[in-house]
Amino acid sequence: MRALVIDDSRAMRRIVGSILKDFGFEVREAGDGQQALDALQEGKAEGWVPDLCCIDWNMPVMDGLQFVVAVRANPELRQVTLMMVTTESETGQIVKALAAGAHEYLIKPFTADALRDKLALLGLLPEEVSA
Amino acid sequence: MTLQEAPPITALLDPETVQSIADEIWPTLVGDGEAFVPVPVAPPAEVVSAWVTISGPWNGAVVLTCAPATAGALAESVLMTRPPTVVDDEDVADALGELANVLGGNIKSVLPGPSSLGLPQIGSAPTTGRLDDVCRVNGQWRGQSLTITVQGATQALHPSGTEVPQ
Repeated sequence: MRALVIDDSRAMRRIVGSILKDFGFEVREAGDGQQALDALQEGKAEGWVPDLCCIDWNMPVMDGLQFVVAVRANPELRQVTLMMVTTESETGQIVKALAAGAHEYLIKPFTADALRDKLALLGLLPEEVSA
Repeated sequence: MTLQEAPPITALLDPETVQSIADEIWPTLVGDGEAFVPVPVAPPAEVVSAWVTISGPWNGAVVLTCAPATAGALAESVLMTRPPTVVDDEDVADALGELANVLGGNIKSVLPGPSSLGLPQIGSAPTTGRLDDVCRVNGQWRGQSLTITVQGATQALHPSGTEVPQ
């Protein structure tokens, strides 16, 4: 499994990335939505397409919601699972993100178990981790 | 609603709610077994602050303040670094900013909405507005002073561009 972690906080990228690596993911990082789109383009050129994107909402340059909209507008990225990982927890914002095409929503702070549960719901966990 | 008409933060939030939010954040973000203890200790001579702004029916900021050395220790804990790895100034600003961001997001969720959250900022804390528009919890982490302040803005905050959800 491959994951792209998109967050303007290096600390949060490291935390999320570390948990995902423990679950067997190969992880790349991006600091905002535009960097993430660039990473997807570069990855495509070398055959690296993520199974999962973990996306912060509030970021400079391009925020997480704009990134979700951009990915969903690209048919070549239809298979990528999008999960918001953010402090934004108002119901209206969760609805907005899901309506834009995000598959799941995880509110910070979260535990490794909570992330694992979300990945299990999405069918993105290897069997040995799910057990 | 104008800033003048907005109720003060003390009518919207109490220190116990701030503490309960910190209770959730510290073990998950700072580390297992870590806690923000609401028992004040002597404030440090030199401080650094990280904050995020909230713009909506209530306008203000959520500010985390501590000594620079405490900020460094927090960053090491958040980043799970072990000697000989050392955190640099950018790591400290990033980790303290993310703590303020998560605190701010969770505090925003208990305030009237819809509201938007600004990006984390580091430096000297913004000045407070009305004196009654401040909710402060003085506490400690690992015996060092740490303060969480939810304070009204001196003027309405206008979110810009990519800093807030569209």
